[in-house]
Amino acid sequence: MRRQLPLAIIFVMGVFTIVTNFIPAKPVADLNQMFRNWYLGIITFFTFLGTINLARVSGERLKEKSRDWQYHIILLMALATQLFLGFYKWSPDALREGSPFMYVYFNLQFPLESTMYSLLAFFMTSASFRAFRARNKEALLLLLAAVVVMLGRVPIGSSIWHGFPSVTEWLMSYPNAAAKRGIMIGIDLGLISMSLRMILGIERSYMQ
Amino acid sequence: MYMTTGLWPWFAAALTLAIYSFLYKDNPFYKIAEYIFVGLSAGYWASYMFWNYAKPNLFDPLFWPGDAARNYWNIIPLILGLLMFTQLFRQTSWMVRFPLTFVLGVALGLQIIATVEGDIIPQLAGTFDPFLKSNFAAYNFWQAAGSIVILGGVITTLTYFFFSIEHRGAFGLSAKTGVYFLMISFGASFGYTVMARISLLIGRLQFLLGDWLHVIK
Amino acid sequence: MSILDRISNLDRRIVFVAVALAVIIPLLIPVGLPVEVTPPVQKVYNVIESLPAGSVVLVSIDYDPSGAPELYPATLSVMRQCFARNLKMVVIGMWATGVPLGQRALKQVALDEYHKQYGVDYVNFGFRPGGAVMLVNLGRNIHDVCRQDVYGTPIEDIPMMEEIRSAKDIAFTITFSMGDPGSDQWIWYYHARYRGNLATAQTAIGAPKYYQYMQTGQLVGLIGGMKGAAEYETLVKQPGLATIGMDAQSIAHMLIIGFIVLGNVIYWFEKRRKK
Repeated sequence: MRRQLPLAIIFVMGVFTIVTNFIPAKPVADLNQMFRNWYLGIITFFTFLGTINLARVSGERLKEKSRDWQYHIILLMALATQLFLGFYKWSPDALREGSPFMYVYFNLQFPLESTMYSLLAFFMTSASFRAFRARNKEALLLLLAAVVVMLGRVPIGSSIWHGFPSVTEWLMSYPNAAAKRGIMIGIDLGLISMSLRMILGIERSYMQ
Repeated sequence: MYMTTGLWPWFAAALTLAIYSFLYKDNPFYKIAEYIFVGLSAGYWASYMFWNYAKPNLFDPLFWPGDAARNYWNIIPLILGLLMFTQLFRQTSWMVRFPLTFVLGVALGLQIIATVEGDIIPQLAGTFDPFLKSNFAAYNFWQAAGSIVILGGVITTLTYFFFSIEHRGAFGLSAKTGVYFLMISFGASFGYTVMARISLLIGRLQFLLGDWLHVIK
Repeated sequence: MSILDRISNLDRRIVFVAVALAVIIPLLIPVGLPVEVTPPVQKVYNVIESLPAGSVVLVSIDYDPSGAPELYPATLSVMRQCFARNLKMVVIGMWATGVPLGQRALKQVALDEYHKQYGVDYVNFGFRPGGAVMLVNLGRNIHDVCRQDVYGTPIEDIPMMEEIRSAKDIAFTITFSMGDPGSDQWIWYYHARYRGNLATAQTAIGAPKYYQYMQTGQLVGLIGGMKGAAEYETLVKQPGLATIGMDAQSIAHMLIIGFIVLGNVIYWFEKRRKK
C-alpha cells in the first residue's frame, strides 16, 4: 500500500493529464482544471513545510551549539519578524505597499538579495583573468565569441567599430540559436524519457 | 529607485556594505547579513503564499465562501497538503508520497505535452521550414545563409551529443563541427553572463551613490 | 619573481578594486554614449505600437530583486508605452518577491505619470503560484486563477475584467523573467496552447537561449539585459537607470576583456618560456 498506492496515483494522474489534453469536451476540461487547481493548492504547503523545516534545522543547530550556531539566532529572529509582520493584522493588508512588511522587504530584503548576486561580478572577473585560457582552437573560438558579444552588447563597441552590434546579432541569431536548439532538443528528449519513467513507476527515487 | 526616505537607506546601505565586505574576507558582518537574508526570505514567501493563494483559493471557498457556493472538493487538496507535514516525523514520513505523487503526476503529464508541443515540434519546424516552404528562393543572401547555418548547426550539435556511434569519419566531422557551434554558443553565453553580473553591480552602486550618498541623480 | 609572475599572481582584491572603479567612475562622470536599438527589442516595440487603443496587455512580473537592475527599467518603459497608447493592462507575477516591484512600477507609471484608473485601465492580481500549471489554467479561465486582486477585491467587482476571461481576450503578453518559472513556461505551456503575441524581457544570463524562439516565431521579440532595457528607454524617449548604466557597462566590459587578454598573453609567454 505504501508503495503501490502512490505509484498508482502518479500513473493515473500522469496518463489522465496526457490523454485529456486531446479531449476538448467541456466536462473533461473542467475536471482537468479542477485537478490543476488541486495541484496549486497542494504546492502552497511545500512553502510552509520549507519554512517549518528551516526553523527546525536552525533550532537543532542552536541546541547542539554546532559551528556558527549564534547566527541561527539571527536567522530565527529575522524569520519570526517577517512572519509576525505578515500575520499580525490577520489580513492581506499586512502585505500592502507602505506596510511594515513592505518596509522590511524594500529596505532590508531587497538590498540583501541584489547585493548577494552582484558579488559574482567581482569573482567572475577574477576567474576570467586567472582561468580563461585559449589552450586550443575550441577555447580560442569561445574566447573570440565572448569578446565579440561583450563588445557588441555595449555602446562603446559600436564606437570602436560600427559592425560589432550587427555581428553580435548575427552570432546570437544563427550559430548561437542553432547550438542552443540542439542542446534544448537533447534536454527535451531526456525530460520526456525521465517523465515517462516516473509516470510508469520505473523511476522511484523520489519516494526515498 | 526603490528606497523610502529617512534612515531606511542607511540600513540598506549598511547591509549592502556588509555583503561586500566578503570581498576582503569572510567576516561576521557578512555572515549576519547572510542569515538575516535567509530568515527574511523564508518569512516573506510563507506570508505571501498564504495571503495570495492558500487563503483566497483554498481555505475561503471551503470554510468561508461568503455568498458563493461552498466548494467541498477543496477538502482533497487540503488533506493532501496537510500530509506534506508528515515528512517532519520519521514514523509518518512515508505519507508524503501521496501529495508528492499527485503533484508529480499532473506536472509530468503536462511537461510531456508541453515539451513536445511547445518545444520540440516548433523548434524542428523552425529548422526545416525555410527549406520546405516555397519562399526560400526569395530569401536574400543573409537570410539563406542564416537558414543553412541553423540547419547545419542543429544537426551537427545533435550529432555531437550522440555517443552511441563512434565519432569517426563523416559522423566525427559532423560532431567536430557541432563542437565549434557549441563553443560559439558558450562564448556568447559567457559574454551575456558578464553583462548580467556587471548590471547587478551597477544597480547596487547606483543605489549607494544615488539613493544613499546622493552624489549621482 | 619576474614581472609576468607578479602579474600572474596578482592579488584578486586588486582585480576587485579595478572592477569597482570601472563602474563607479563612469557613474560619477557619465559620457553619454549613444544606445543603438537592436532588432529583437525593436520588434517588441513595434508590436505594442501596432495594438489598437483598448487592447489588453498581460504583463507577468517573474523576477526578484536580483533581476531588478536589468528588468525593472524595462518594466517601466514597456508600461509607459502601453499607457501612452491607452492599452489596458493586467498584471500578474509568478515570483512572490517580484510582485512589490510590479506594484511600485504601476504606481509610478499608471497612477503618477499617466493618471490611469485602477480597475478600468489596469489591474494587478499579484502573485500567482504554480508556474506552468497555473499558466495552463490562466489561459483557459483567468477568473478561476485570479479570484481577487492585490487589494482583496473579488474579480467580479473589477469593471475591466468583465470582458477579459481567457487568453482569447489578451492581445499581447510580455513576461519580465529571470528563471524558472518564467519565459520557458510561458512559451511551452501558454503560447503552445493559446498562441497570441508573446514577448519576453530577460536578464542577460538567460537571453541567449531565447533567440531560437524568436526564429520560430514563438516570441515576437526579446529585451535582453540592461542593454535591452536601455534600448527600450531610447525607443520610448525616456532615458532612465538602464541608459545611465550603459557607460559603466561599457567600461567594465573593456576592463574584463583587458584582463582576459592580459591573462592569455601571460599564458603564452609562460608557455614559450617553458619550451
